[in-house]
Amino acid sequence: MDAEPRVTHLDLDRPLVEAAQRDPARFDALYRRYLARVYSYAYYELGDHHAAEDATERTFLAALANLHRFKERARPADGAGASTFRVWLFQIARNVVANERRTERRRPTEPIVETTVVADPLDVEGEVVRREEAGAAWRAVGKLAGDRRRALVLRFVDEMTTAEIAGVLGRSEGAVRVLIHRALRSVARDLETTEHLAPRPPRT
Amino acid sequence: MSLQGRDVGEIEALVTDRYLDSLLGDREVQTPSAALDEAVRAVSRRLADDLPRFHPSFRFEERLAVRLAEAAASMRLPLAAGGERDAAPGPTQIPLSPRLAPDPLAALDDGDRPRPKPYLVGGAVAASALSLAGAAWLAWRRRSASPMARAVRAAHQARG
Repeated sequence: MDAEPRVTHLDLDRPLVEAAQRDPARFDALYRRYLARVYSYAYYELGDHHAAEDATERTFLAALANLHRFKERARPADGAGASTFRVWLFQIARNVVANERRTERRRPTEPIVETTVVADPLDVEGEVVRREEAGAAWRAVGKLAGDRRRALVLRFVDEMTTAEIAGVLGRSEGAVRVLIHRALRSVARDLETTEHLAPRPPRT
Repeated sequence: MSLQGRDVGEIEALVTDRYLDSLLGDREVQTPSAALDEAVRAVSRRLADDLPRFHPSFRFEERLAVRLAEAAASMRLPLAAGGERDAAPGPTQIPLSPRLAPDPLAALDDGDRPRPKPYLVGGAVAASALSLAGAAWLAWRRRSASPMARAVRAAHQARG
């Protein structure tokens, strides 16, 4: 098993990060690139539109204010604790969301499935089916405990690699692999109790 | 990567991880290893297809962009005066923006997206509020490189 998290690829955001470190006004490009991902992470964690917006705002303001302190450590030679901008940004988001969750425990939140699907407003029937499927998947993921849930959201929604998730969660890559595998088995059991997992055509 | 010294759970997790790399990495999905649990394979495909990515409202996006620009400008002033960067105002000194109602046009934002995923817009949004006119306005305003934005701008310039 890996002892420490390690990101072994180069940071694809490096040009944008360096530009923003020279001129904070250039941070906008990074903001646009990661807005939906950070907001999604916050929304899955908090299940509330307003709380997710607050967390997103705090995350990007903190990232901008501390960007001059960020140092890319994305080469194998950098060893333990390697980090890209994306990992660093989600570490901030994780801390912000943890603070929000402590606040949210003191007030009720709306179910995430109450949001309205607008991906294709002309296909009402299809949207209803998709909404039900997305709701079932979300409910199953939402039942998972802390880092299992976060790992699945980062893997499937934010499309991070295992190494990146390890950096965000502060765990080893091996531990994250086991975390995700066990989370998937748990979600599979959960969905099988409510519906049959019918075979689907391959992704194109 | 050697499998020696790993227990069964770690090996299963490694097999699952390789399958997810293939499934989620925009590559042709490889025939899963025989060692891959069928339930894990099925639920992985299910989550890859059905877990949506959420997007905040368009107005929230633009409002936060303005706040970030203001914060960036205030950080540049001490730098221009030769001050220390750490003297720049931090996020805790910037009050959070007041909340706005969700924007129904937010779902049409076509910024830097990695690949198509089901998208949901946070908050109670009436799908019926979407209109072609609104979509055209958004595409024109965002200066997007999408075909729709180009067409709208071309029509706008032709009229002018």
